[in-house]
Amino acid sequence: MADGTAVAGPAAGPAADPAAGPDRLRAVAAELVDDSAADAWDRAGRIPEETVRTAGAQGLMAAQIPRRYGGPGLSSADNGELTAFVGSRCSSLRSLMTSQGMAAWTVQRLGERQQRAALLPRLAGGAQAAVAFSEPEAGSDLSAMATRIEPDGDSVVVTGEKVWITAACYADLLVVFGRYGDGAAAVVVPATAPGVTVERVPEPMGCRAAGHAHLRLDGVRVPAGDVLGGAGQSTDLLVGTALSYGRMSVAWGCVGILRGCLAAVGRHARTRQQFGKPLAGHQLVARHVAELLAAEQTATRACAHASHCWDTRSPEMVSATVLAKYVSSRQAAAGAATAVQVLASAGARDGHPVARAYRDAKLMEIIEGSSEICELLLAEHALSVYT
Amino acid sequence: MTTTPEPTADVIAERISRFLEERTKTSFAVDTDVFASGGVNSLFAMELVVFLEEAFDVEIAGSDLRLDNMRTVTAMTALVQRLRAEDAAEAGDAGDGAGRG
Repeated sequence: MADGTAVAGPAAGPAADPAAGPDRLRAVAAELVDDSAADAWDRAGRIPEETVRTAGAQGLMAAQIPRRYGGPGLSSADNGELTAFVGSRCSSLRSLMTSQGMAAWTVQRLGERQQRAALLPRLAGGAQAAVAFSEPEAGSDLSAMATRIEPDGDSVVVTGEKVWITAACYADLLVVFGRYGDGAAAVVVPATAPGVTVERVPEPMGCRAAGHAHLRLDGVRVPAGDVLGGAGQSTDLLVGTALSYGRMSVAWGCVGILRGCLAAVGRHARTRQQFGKPLAGHQLVARHVAELLAAEQTATRACAHASHCWDTRSPEMVSATVLAKYVSSRQAAAGAATAVQVLASAGARDGHPVARAYRDAKLMEIIEGSSEICELLLAEHALSVYT
Repeated sequence: MTTTPEPTADVIAERISRFLEERTKTSFAVDTDVFASGGVNSLFAMELVVFLEEAFDVEIAGSDLRLDNMRTVTAMTALVQRLRAEDAAEAGDAGDGAGRG
């Protein structure tokens, strides 16, 4: 869906519609995806282009882009609930939201004024983006990134390899992180630029329709003005800033996974009869239901607190975001396993929402900072606060 | 438009020092590198950015988002003063600078 369209002015974006609030976006999402669509996309390994395009044009994909750039301008809390809603139905579509929102956030924070003014209306208007961090030799250790962004006159030349880039198969724009001088930089590369190769990850375990791809950047030349912000700065600060949006989004997506599991478990446990009564009447099953509810509520509270920190611009948003991602992804992985246990043979096949949740949730403990990386960050944080 | 007088460098520096001390339980001299002590972690620079933005109503983005700007109380104070001066110079400009991320 690479589009050659000119940069859309803010008036053309969703903000032109006065009703582009959370309720309307939720209705848009409800119309675009239900369990049966999500199942079909999961099996096909692909979301229809028309769906992705509509979601983007309606402002669903990056709903926190401020109104002055043509975005819906949702708060973190409202965008979080929207993300959870989509996540309750389809983690692949939710993953595209995460990537798009993270790309927009990266531009908003790392970009200079004129870059924000040029790029954010495009992202708000539906140009799909992916953010490329990880490499064959740089997963958790992003300081080991080998991709080079090298100045050459009025251009930069980007050379390297990126792996497991979510949404890259759908992307018009790739926000590529790499080495620049003594530090790091992010550069915006059109997916159609000469020298860019996008190779689909053949059979991902989860989020199968999220368009994961490996990227090869073979001397890709783009204008030097497409390098975001002041290049050459601290990798930790640049990457950490970009990732914070992704972590928040994944965390809320995991709340959605848990809500989807609760719905499936509730339906099944009320109706399925064993030993002469509904499953829910058996205490060992009731405990599973209770644990799933506790998981959903725990994740929701962690996310709501972190979003509140975002919306009130509290410095605690930094650690609260890592905590939300950590708690929520672990609860989702455990909760989805519980859901499969309750559904048992009814849920133990591709095509059942809890089986999909089980595969998708596990990946959430890996992406955007593994549970172990989150633990390191949280331990450091705890030691710096409790001295 | 606010009628509050522009805070002086001393006032800004005092507010930053207070935050640093509350957050890290360590008292930093104004020219001490807060990242060199080892007492603060890699998320801390991001916390400082959010703190400065909220406390002084500035936006630290693009090329201003650099560790060197957050390294000492003096550097942070200079950053805040420069950004506030730039915002004041652009006040009334209806362009992109009107709002903040």
